[in-house]
Amino acid sequence: MADFMWENLFSKEAGKHTTYMALKKNILFSGLNPRELKLVEKIVNVRRYRPSEPIFKQGEVGVGMYIIVDGAVNISVEELDTTSSETRTHHVIQLKAGEFFGELALVENNGRRSASASSQEETTVIGFFKPDLIEIIDRNPTAGVKILMMLGEVLGIRLRETTSRITEMKKEHRR
Amino acid sequence: MTPTLESAIVRERRIKLLFFIAAILVLLFSLYKVDNLLISMLLAVVNFYILSPAVDFLERKGFSRQWSTTVPFLVLILFLAILVQFFFPILLEQFKSLQVDLPKYTEISTAFFTNVELKISSVLKDIYPVELGGKIQTQLVNFATTFFQKMPDYISQSLIVLFLAPFLTYFMLLDGRDFVRKLLTLVPNNFFELALNLNHQIGFQMGGFIRARILESVIVSALIWTGLLIMGFPYALSLSLFAGILNIVPYLGPVIGLAPALLIGFANGGGSTELMWILIIYFGAQLVDTVLIVPFVVAKIVDLHPVTVVLAVIVGSQLMGVLGMIISIPLFSILKVSTIAIYKHLTDFRA
Repeated sequence: MADFMWENLFSKEAGKHTTYMALKKNILFSGLNPRELKLVEKIVNVRRYRPSEPIFKQGEVGVGMYIIVDGAVNISVEELDTTSSETRTHHVIQLKAGEFFGELALVENNGRRSASASSQEETTVIGFFKPDLIEIIDRNPTAGVKILMMLGEVLGIRLRETTSRITEMKKEHRR
Repeated sequence: MTPTLESAIVRERRIKLLFFIAAILVLLFSLYKVDNLLISMLLAVVNFYILSPAVDFLERKGFSRQWSTTVPFLVLILFLAILVQFFFPILLEQFKSLQVDLPKYTEISTAFFTNVELKISSVLKDIYPVELGGKIQTQLVNFATTFFQKMPDYISQSLIVLFLAPFLTYFMLLDGRDFVRKLLTLVPNNFFELALNLNHQIGFQMGGFIRARILESVIVSALIWTGLLIMGFPYALSLSLFAGILNIVPYLGPVIGLAPALLIGFANGGGSTELMWILIIYFGAQLVDTVLIVPFVVAKIVDLHPVTVVLAVIVGSQLMGVLGMIISIPLFSILKVSTIAIYKHLTDFRA
């Protein structure tokens, strides 16, 4: 009973704490000091999704990225089968709490989503979008630069991974 | 996804959308119904966009949001107080003088238009009956009587607006973004990215548009005031303010802004040279505006075709009079940006 009381009394604060902690643990915001992190916490958007609810669909114009606070997200790609002219859905990966996706949309101008994302279970995510990044750059350029540097690093890692996979695939193809 | 779950999600989205639309409608209805709220809110929005770069600048320098808001806000209030202290006595004097002179202007302009009417009638004869003098006299007398009779009401309304507009400005600067963010939490998940992006685009476009328009008005007012002062023309300050405010209305505004100066010049028996100088001052101010400000500032911000602009101004004037003419262009550009974004989201989302 006591636990139940405490949970209710401080549920709002607990939510805030979770958002703050999720941001703090994320690589993109890892270089920020507590004051800068508080600003980001005020700006980002916490969204909740039901099981199997789409977060975004492949081909839509993307505005930003999502950090999973709680739950899991399925990433899938729809591909057109040239022989049968039908679209097939390929499950790519399942992402868990702490992981993030869609960060390419932060730097693209009207870029389209390259995959679809939907929640696996009841999921809470932090939406961090281009307008939010612009607001941070306007209000605290130091924090903005730190985020952009980390974003560059993340995109660099992703590019390196993609390049090495393509190289491996090419090698396999030659064999 | 099971059909039950899917229908539950759809139901939840519909409820959220309904609450979001209801919240927007309640806000719009309050603006429309509550006396002085619309004009106070419009002034607050203008002040918000003028001050927000300064607020963001101070916040960038490390001041808290509270201080970054309070300092520019107090500076603006002080600046406006100094302006009022300096210009209000002159304006009051000019209004008193105008009240005395108005019957003379009405009489002379009626005589002029009756003369024009006679000349046109002699040409058109019975083909098309023309009645200018009588109509214009009635309009002018009606306007003058209503304006000066309602002056105490205008002043009391102005006092409410003068209190309400700064109050709204301060809280828009301090908490406006949080308020919008809270409102956006009501948007269903499938429209959230669209709504957030739309809000950003509208804010960006409005900020640029309002700042550019205010800059234009101030420059046009200052040029006309200087010109009329050099000429020694009566009511220079009132006429330049009138022209500056109406300059916000594209195409039609500058013409309406010029009319009273020509009327007063004509009624005072000013010769063709004086009327020509008035035209040169007003056209000169417009030229500076058109050549230096519009191409570099305004055109880049609101990309509307001239025909669309004129139509929007006409619709605005029909619906809400002069206020409608002034706010028609920003409202129309909001409508344009929103329609394009929503249409793209609904129809063109597949790569």
